[in-house]
Amino acid sequence: MRALLSLSDVELYYDHVYALKGVSVEVQEGETVALIGANGAGKSSILRAITGLRRIKKGKIEFEGRRIDGLGPEAVVKLGIAMVPEGRRVFPLMSVRDNLMMGAFSRSDRAEVRSSLESALERFPRLKERLSQPAGTMSGGEQQMLVIARALMARPKLLLLDEPSLGVAPKIVQDIARSIVAINRHEKVSVLLVEQNSRMALRISNRAYALTTGTVALSGASADLVADERIKHLYLGGDL
Amino acid sequence: MEQVVANGLYLGAQYALIALGLTLIFALMNVLNFAHGQMYVLGGFVTYEIYGQLRWPFVVALFASAITLAVLGGLIERLLFRTVIRRSVREESTMLLAAGIAYFLDAVILLLFGEKQRGVPKIVPGVLRAGDIIMPYDRIVVGGLAVLFIVGFILMMQYTRPGRAMRALAQDRIAAQLMGVPVEFYSLLGFALGAMLAGLVGGLLVTITGVNSGIGGPISLKAFLMVMIGGAGVVGGAIAGGFILGMLESVGLTVLHAYGDITYLVIFAALLIFLAIRPNGLMGKPWG
Repeated sequence: MRALLSLSDVELYYDHVYALKGVSVEVQEGETVALIGANGAGKSSILRAITGLRRIKKGKIEFEGRRIDGLGPEAVVKLGIAMVPEGRRVFPLMSVRDNLMMGAFSRSDRAEVRSSLESALERFPRLKERLSQPAGTMSGGEQQMLVIARALMARPKLLLLDEPSLGVAPKIVQDIARSIVAINRHEKVSVLLVEQNSRMALRISNRAYALTTGTVALSGASADLVADERIKHLYLGGDL
Repeated sequence: MEQVVANGLYLGAQYALIALGLTLIFALMNVLNFAHGQMYVLGGFVTYEIYGQLRWPFVVALFASAITLAVLGGLIERLLFRTVIRRSVREESTMLLAAGIAYFLDAVILLLFGEKQRGVPKIVPGVLRAGDIIMPYDRIVVGGLAVLFIVGFILMMQYTRPGRAMRALAQDRIAAQLMGVPVEFYSLLGFALGAMLAGLVGGLLVTITGVNSGIGGPISLKAFLMVMIGGAGVVGGAIAGGFILGMLESVGLTVLHAYGDITYLVIFAALLIFLAIRPNGLMGKPWG
C-alpha cells in the first residue's frame, strides 16, 4: 500500500547544526501517527520540513506519491496538508470568524467554505458563542480549539498538530485528545501528531515514532510502545 | 474655537492617511519607511505637473499620483527591500535602506522639479461661511476625499480577501504562511498600497499648501510622530495619531501664536512625556 505521506532519509540543518539526521517516517491513509521525544529531538523540525517552512538538505518527502520537498508553505497547504503550529498562533486581533475564514484561504469554493464553517462550529460549539470576539482575548484552551478548527477549514487530507497540549489545562487536554480522535474517525483526516505529553499521544495514535537527537530511536504500534520498557523509562517517567 | 476644530479635522484627515500608509508598511514588513515623506512629495509633483501644468482634470492628476507611487512602491519592495530582507538578518539593514531611498528620492525630486515652491490653481473656488467658521470649499473637498479614502481603506482591510490576508500577515507571519497566504505577493501589494496612500495625500495637499522638494523629511517626521502617538502597526492607532496631531497643530497655531513659532517644540516636548508613560502609544501592542 502506498503511504499518504512518507519522509525518507530526511536531513535538515539550522545554520550548520543538524536537526534531523536521516529520518524516515510514514503516515498511511486514515492513521493517527504520533511523534514523541524530548525537547530538541527534532519532532517539530519534521513538521516544518513537511510544510515547507524549512528546506531539507537531503532525502525526500512525498505526499500522495508526489515530491513535496522544495515546495513553499502556500503550495503545500493547497495539496491538502494543514498545520496546527506550536504555541497556537491565532491571529490575536482578528475575530474568531475571521481566523476561521483565514483557514480556508487556500480554497476557492466559497459556497462549500460556508458549510465547512458550520461543521467546524458544530465540532467546537464553544467557538460559536465567540464568533465576533478577538481571538487573542480567549483562554489558552479555547485558542487551541480555534486553531484546530482553523486548520480543518482548509479541508485537509492530513492534519499536522504541533504540541496541541502545551500550556493547556489538564482537563482541556482531554477535550483536545477527544477532538483529535473524532476528527480522525469521522472526517477521515489522517493525523500526524507531535507531542511531549507522550502518554496522551500514545493513547490516541495507531503508531508512533520516538525520536532522540534528530533520529528515529524506536517505532511501532502505539499499544506496544506504551508497554515498552525503554519508552516507559525515557518518555513516560514519573512526572507524567 | 469651532474654526480651530474644523481646521484640525481637515488637517487630521490628511495626516491620518499618511500615517496609515506608513503603519501598513511597518505592520506587514517590519520596515520603517523613512522615504514616506519623499513619496508624498512625489505624489504632489505628479499632480502639479498634470493638473497645474497640463491643466488636465484634477481627478486624473490625483489618479496618476496614486498609480505612480503604487508602481514605485512596488518596484522598491521587489527590487530593494525583498533582496535586503532575504540576505540580511539585521533589522537595521532595512532602516538604512529606507533612509538611503529617502535621500535618493530627495535628490531625484530636486533634479526633476527644481527647488521652487509650486502651487496649482484652486480646484473649487469660494469660501464657506457658516456661523463663526470660515472654510474654503477646496479644503472641504480635499478633507472629504481624505475621509473617503480612509473609510475605503478600512473597509478593504476589514472585508476583502486581500485585506484579511494582510491583517493576518501583520499579526502572525508564520501562521499566515501556513494558511496559504503568499507572503511575497502581499508584501509587494502592501508596500505599493502604503506608497500609494502617501502619493494620494501629496496629490490632495498640493492643491492647498503647494509642494516643494524640501518637505519630504519633515513630512516623514510628522508621519512617525503620528504613528508613535497612536501605536505602531495598528490601523486605529494611525488614524487616531493623525487626527490628534492635526488637532494639536491646529490648536497650537492658534493658542501659541503669540509666543512665536513654538507649536512643534511644545508637541515634541509633550510627546517625550507621553512616550515615557506609554511607550507603545495609545493602541500599540509590544510587537516582537
